Parts: sequence; structure tokens; C-alpha cells
Amino acid sequence: MDNVFRLAALAAALSASASVLAAAAVDQPAPAFSAVDTGGKTVSLADFKGKTVVLEWVNPGCPFVRKHYDSANMPATQKNAVAKGAVWLAVNSTHRGASDYMAPAALAGWMKDQGAAPTATLMDADGKVGRAYGARTTPHMYVIDPKGTLVYAGAIDSKPTADPADVKTATNYVNQAVAEVVAGKPVSQPVTQAYGCSVKYGD
Amino acid sequence: MRLPRALLVPLLLAPLMAAALPGGGSAVVTTEQVRAELIAHAPQGVAAGQPLWLGLSLDHKPHWHTYWKNPGDSGLPTTLQWTLPEGFKAGEIEWPTPARLPIGPLMNHGYEGRLLLPVKVEVPAGYAADTLPVKLRADWLVCKDVCIPEGGDFSLEIPVRSAVAARGADFEAAFAAVPQPLAAAKATANVGPAGLALQVEGLPAVWAGKAIEFFPEAPGVLDNAQPRKAAWDGSRWTLQAPLSDQRLEAPSRMDAVLVAAGETPGARIGFDIAGSWPAPGGTPAPAPAAAPAAGTTAPIGLGLALVFALIGGAILNLMPCVFPVLSLKVLGFAAHADDRRAHAISGLAYTAGVVLSFLALAGVLLALRAGGEQLGWGFQLQSPAVIAVLAALFTLIGLNLAGVFEFGSVLPSSLASLQARHPVLDSLLTGVLAVAVASPCTAPFMGASLGFAVTLPAAQALAVFAALGLGMALPYLAASLWPGLARLLPRPGAWMVRFKVLMAFPMFATVIWLVWVIGQQTGIDGAAALLAVLLALAFIAWALGTPGIGRVARASFGALGVLALAVALSWMLPSFHASAATATGARAEAGWEPWSEQRVAELRAAGKPVFVDFTAAWCVTCQYNKRTTLADPAVVADFAARGVVLMRADWTRRDPAITAALAGFGRNGVPVYALYGRDGAPQILSEILSVREVRDALARL
Repeated sequence: MDNVFRLAALAAALSASASVLAAAAVDQPAPAFSAVDTGGKTVSLADFKGKTVVLEWVNPGCPFVRKHYDSANMPATQKNAVAKGAVWLAVNSTHRGASDYMAPAALAGWMKDQGAAPTATLMDADGKVGRAYGARTTPHMYVIDPKGTLVYAGAIDSKPTADPADVKTATNYVNQAVAEVVAGKPVSQPVTQAYGCSVKYGD
Repeated sequence: MRLPRALLVPLLLAPLMAAALPGGGSAVVTTEQVRAELIAHAPQGVAAGQPLWLGLSLDHKPHWHTYWKNPGDSGLPTTLQWTLPEGFKAGEIEWPTPARLPIGPLMNHGYEGRLLLPVKVEVPAGYAADTLPVKLRADWLVCKDVCIPEGGDFSLEIPVRSAVAARGADFEAAFAAVPQPLAAAKATANVGPAGLALQVEGLPAVWAGKAIEFFPEAPGVLDNAQPRKAAWDGSRWTLQAPLSDQRLEAPSRMDAVLVAAGETPGARIGFDIAGSWPAPGGTPAPAPAAAPAAGTTAPIGLGLALVFALIGGAILNLMPCVFPVLSLKVLGFAAHADDRRAHAISGLAYTAGVVLSFLALAGVLLALRAGGEQLGWGFQLQSPAVIAVLAALFTLIGLNLAGVFEFGSVLPSSLASLQARHPVLDSLLTGVLAVAVASPCTAPFMGASLGFAVTLPAAQALAVFAALGLGMALPYLAASLWPGLARLLPRPGAWMVRFKVLMAFPMFATVIWLVWVIGQQTGIDGAAALLAVLLALAFIAWALGTPGIGRVARASFGALGVLALAVALSWMLPSFHASAATATGARAEAGWEPWSEQRVAELRAAGKPVFVDFTAAWCVTCQYNKRTTLADPAVVADFAARGVVLMRADWTRRDPAITAALAGFGRNGVPVYALYGRDGAPQILSEILSVREVRDALARL
């Protein structure tokens, strides 16, 4: 029986060394994840090695999200990023019990109605991806460079309001970061204060 | 859109209200969530050098809140834009002491209930008009679980030459709630990889020993939600606060509000920060030692998960609840010891049986996952009906081994001969049985593999389960393929009959365990009823199986047995349902509190370390640890010496809160042992708990 304990201790030690702290941080490798998209397809960050990846935390029930969709700012930002060769993953970490949880089909329909152009819209109802990235708000934006390093984390733009009129006069941090990554330049504002509704994580 | 309709109304109305009242508005704006009012306080009239205060009062509906200047992880502070006659200057909002408002894993800072945001106004000399027209554009974000941005245009005419003091009490209350600078306090701070370390001397004497909340005024520097380590060292209060992983700045000076429990208002302190800010994201876990901090661990990689699943599966063979089946397998070896080919085929069939069973389990798991069911490993043993069926099965196997009856005389002859004629099928079924029995014993690291598997896409989850099965079958398979190993077994002989009877005892031991589990789940009535069922079954087996009983006697005994079984069943089945409410979760045991997530948070907030034993009656590993390591005098003394609060989360019956908590550790089964320090992720101890490990973990607190 002693050998069993020894083997157990060995394996426990192995598992400890394999456990990596998963708090996403700028200038650090972006945490790997897999999630199922609204069409039921599994999408992994690893699928997009060598590409710039934008992550957008989305929840249509949030007025701040609607600000950027009603004003067409988010769809335009998505199209701009995709046109520059980036991959755009919209992530919904709203838990199933939340009053504004949307089923995959409903979310896909909403995105389509908004003229959204993400590469995929991912369901993260258990909040695993959200927690790994420390996503706090909707929207909360992240940009990952082709080497897999997180290079931007924060707000969509510089005007933390729910007023769609402010979009015009705000600096779009994501457009800025994507342009800089594509040009091979360091991101000038790598972290900003994300603003919006809380991500509705389950407890 | 899933926004409740009631919330849409004010959303739609807010702009209308603003539009309908061009250049004006009234002093009051009411929405579904707040009543907002612009109020003034000029007890000496509006005159240069005399106090003039304006303020926005916000009455929140229950559970709704608005935000402090640093709103925390989400939200926005309320903003006020004043339009005043020339020469008047409105100051900043004097924010009352905020409260911490947790929402899921996030932390906000704000206000519920009644709030007044006062603003001091400078009055110019020589203002000649009779009234002071005040216009205010206010915007606030009001949230419960949903957030609604609201705002309003307010206006107020203040008589200049008479005292305006009708709302004096509101302003006095607000002033009393504004954190005051502490002249006597001396604060010093250091920043390093472990976070911000703050020491404050000279806090009010009445604060001594009390828990203190810390609110940084700058957003995005410190982690808001992670618990902070605070302590009193004589008259000095110290704080260790983890930094935000997505830090906005590296300030050389910070302002903050301190709030002592039960004391109002808070106190404002400012401090210079020495040391150098680590690169963002460099905040290490508080316990970097061997214990895996599973609360924050990334899911382990697939390759590693497969390896662990394989090892975990192999170790399953040594777990007490697999042992009886292992005995069955040993019997099987002896039976085939001469026939190498049969041997190999049997090994492969057994492997196939085990792997197929694991895959079937995975299929069920995935199907239930798809259905949104909160499923846990060992789950099947949380159902009393399944326990009863297993107990009956083991009783019959035990009776069979003991020679009370032969399967041939009970089972339809075709089925019996099927078993005899097809040893391959027999091996396959043994494999299936082995899996059914193994399930409750979450062997070391199988928990992690399973928790991981449940979160995986279907194909990968199936691969992990297949690896578990393969691991479990491996020892048997190896022995069957390399006869050298099998030859170590004794030759068949008369001893086999004795051995077979001997093997009945572990079977009955397993039955004792299952009856005990039923007792834990349904109480002594349920356990007694199950024993009655088992007795009736044994009687039927004896009546039908014992040779030399006459046909009529056999039929009468059989009928009697069936009748007895029916009576016992009618007693047992309702007791399973009736007792469902009297779950075992809340049973008090000396020194152990029943677990609740909230209680853990409270205790940690109060600075107490907490140890949680996630356990279940049907989990033998759990019970073993409970009676050995956790009852060890040295461990008990260590727990007491460090003031650790002991909690037990009993998962014997389904409990969604516990299932969710286990999922939070990336686990799907018990045991899990979590040791929470004052802050940071808990230390997760290994499933086969040693005294040394617990004491080492305690020493790291």
C-alpha cells in the first residue's frame, strides 16, 4: 500500500507542475481555451495560431453592448479586424440562470440581425473562458498577437458611457491595437479600464 | 432581447423625458429603479463666504445600486454636470463611504438604499439676482443583476435671500457618511510581486481589532474581488492586497478609504508607494508550494489528462471498492491458467468490457451534460435505488460464491449456459461489473481528469474515459498476455472451492458498506428495509437453489419468498422518497460545521482560515481519510492551534451547491480537501490525504 501512496504523491507533484495559473495578463501568453460556438462547433484558440485574435465579451441584454451594436460600432470594428486578417471571437459568458441569458440560436440570430461579422460567437455559460481572461464587463475586449501573446485588454473605446452618440468622438482602442499588431508595432495603450455591465457569471 | 419588459419602459422613457423638458426638467426624476432629486442647502442664504451645497439624492429600489467613484470591476460612477450662473463654481462630489457589492466572482463598490451625493458650491461676491437658477445633468448606471444607464436633467430655483435648510437633515447625514482624512494616521506602502503591502498606524482607537475594508480610489490597480490579507499587529493595521492582472497604471501614490466594521464613516488615507511594480500579471499564487491551487488552475493538457486517466484507472484496482471484483478476476485467472489463448482472449474481452463501460458512462455523462444536468462522478451512488440494486446484486453474488445456490438453477438455463459456453462474454461482463463498482472511488487525480473531461468536446472526453478504462484493465490485460505473470498464480485445485467461498466475504463486506450508505441517505428505516429486501432475496435464492427440496416445497417456499420480497419492497421504496428531505448535509459533527459557500466567504473576510472536507458516505477514500488523517491527534491539534474552522460538505445526496463548488475546483467527484488561507486561492490537498501533507499545508498558511 505504501507504494500506492508514493505513486500518488508522484502523480500529484506532476499535476501540480502542470497546473498553470490562468489569470490572463498583457505581455503574457494568452490562456488557451476551447468553447462551442452558437452553431455547436468547437472552437479553440489553438486553431488560430499565427493569427491576430480579437476577443469580445458580449451580452445583448447589456445596454453598453447595445450602444456599440445599435451605433454599428462593434460590427464595423469586427469587419475592420477581419479585413486585416484577424480572427474575431465574440464570447458570451452569461450563465444560464441569468435573466438575459440567450440560447445559442437566439444569440446567433441577434448577431446576424445586428450585421455582426465575428469569425465565431462562443457560448461560455460556465464562465470558464471569461474567468481565465478575467473578463469583467460586457463589452470587455482583448487582442492576442500572432505569437499568442495577449497585447491588449480593456475597453472598446475611450468614452465610458451608454450614449451611442459618444462613439463618434471616442478613440476605438481595438481598431488601434489591431492596426498596431498588424503593422508589427507594439500596442501603444495595452491596458485600459473596461466599462459596461458586469459579466453575469454563475456563482 | 431578454430584458424584462418592466426595465424597458424607463429605458425608452428616459430620453423622452429629457426631450420633453427642453432646457429644464424639474427637481425630481423618477425611474423604475430610483427616485432622483436635486436638492440644495444654504442655511445662511446664498451669499459669498456662506456655505452653499447642492446635491443629487438617489433613492434606490431594494437590491438596486449605483456606483462609487471607483466602481470596481464593472459599473460607472455617477456623473454630475452643473450649469450655474457666472462666477458660481461647483466642486467635486463628496462621495459618501461606499460598500462592497459582490456580484458572482466580481466585486463592485457602490451604494444601495438612500444616497445623497453632495457638492460644495463657491458663491461669488456681488450676485444680485433674487434667485439662483441651478441646472444639472446627471447620469448614473443603476444595476441589480441587469444594468440600466439612466440620467436626467434637473432644475431648481433657489431663493437667494432666505435660508434654505429644509433638506438640512439629508445633507447632515451625507456629511456624516463622507470618509474623513485621518490626521493622526501614518500609512506606508510597498509594492512587490506579492502585491501591495500597506501598514497604517494611528487609526482611531475604537477600530482596534476590527475587520477593515479597503477601497482604493483609483480603479484598475488592485484586484477587487480576490480576498486581501489584513491583520492587526498591536496598534498597527497591515494589509496585503493582490494587484490587478490587467493593471492600468503603476502609481507612486494612492488614496484610499478604510472602513472599520460597524464604524461610520470611513477614513481617507493617502500613501506613497515604495518598491517597484511587477510586470502586469506577475502576481503569483500565495502558495506556490507542491499543493496544486486548483481553484485557479488551467485545465490540464489533453495528453497529460490521458496519462493521468491511465494511472488513475490502474490505481482503481487497488481501491477498496474494486477489491471484491478484483477477487472475481483472480478466480477467473485460476480458471483459465492452462489455456494461453483463452487467457489472452479473456484479458482482451475484459479490457473491452471495461473500456466500453467507461465509454458508455462518458456517453451518459455527455448526454446529461447536454441536457444541462449537474452531474458528478459517483453520482449514480447518490441514488438510493441504485445502491439498493447494487446491494441486492452483491448479496446474490456472495450467496452464490458461498454455495447457497448455483446460478444455473436460478437463471434461465439458456443464459446460464451462455455464460458457460462463452467465457469471452463472461470476461466482458466482469469488466462491465468492475466499472460499475469502481465508479464511487474517485482514485487520485481521476477527479481532475474527470472534471477536465466534462468540460471537453465530446471526442476528447471519450478519449479520457477510454484511457481511464484502459488503465483499469491494464493489470489484468498484462497478466493475461504475459503468462509469466499469470503463472505466478497458484495451480487450480481443491483450494479453488474454498477460495470461492472465501471470496463471498468481501462481497458481504461490500453489502455492509452499501447498507451503511443507504443508512446515511435515508436513515435507519431505509437501511432496515433494504436488509429486509436482502433477506427476502436470500430466502428466494435458498428456496430455489438448494438441491434436494421437493417440487411442491420449493414452489411454496418460492412463493412465500416472493411475497416477503413484495412486502419488503413496499416498505423500502417509500422510505427512499420520504426521507429525501432529511438530507445528511446538515448533520452536525463535533468540531465540524456544515459547509456553505457564504459561510466560507464570511469566515475568510473575518480573517479565519477554513478547511473544507468535500465528502460523501459512499466514498470509501473519503471515509478512510476522515477516520485516519483527519482524526489524527497531531492534525486535530494543528487545526486548533491555527484557529482553522473545519467544514464538511456532504455530497452523499445530490446537492447542486456542492456540485458547483467542486466544479469550481475543476473537480467532479469527492474527496476534495480545500484549505483556505486568508486570501488567494485555496490549497487543494491530494485525495489520499497524509498527516504530513495536511500539516505542511497548515504551516504554509
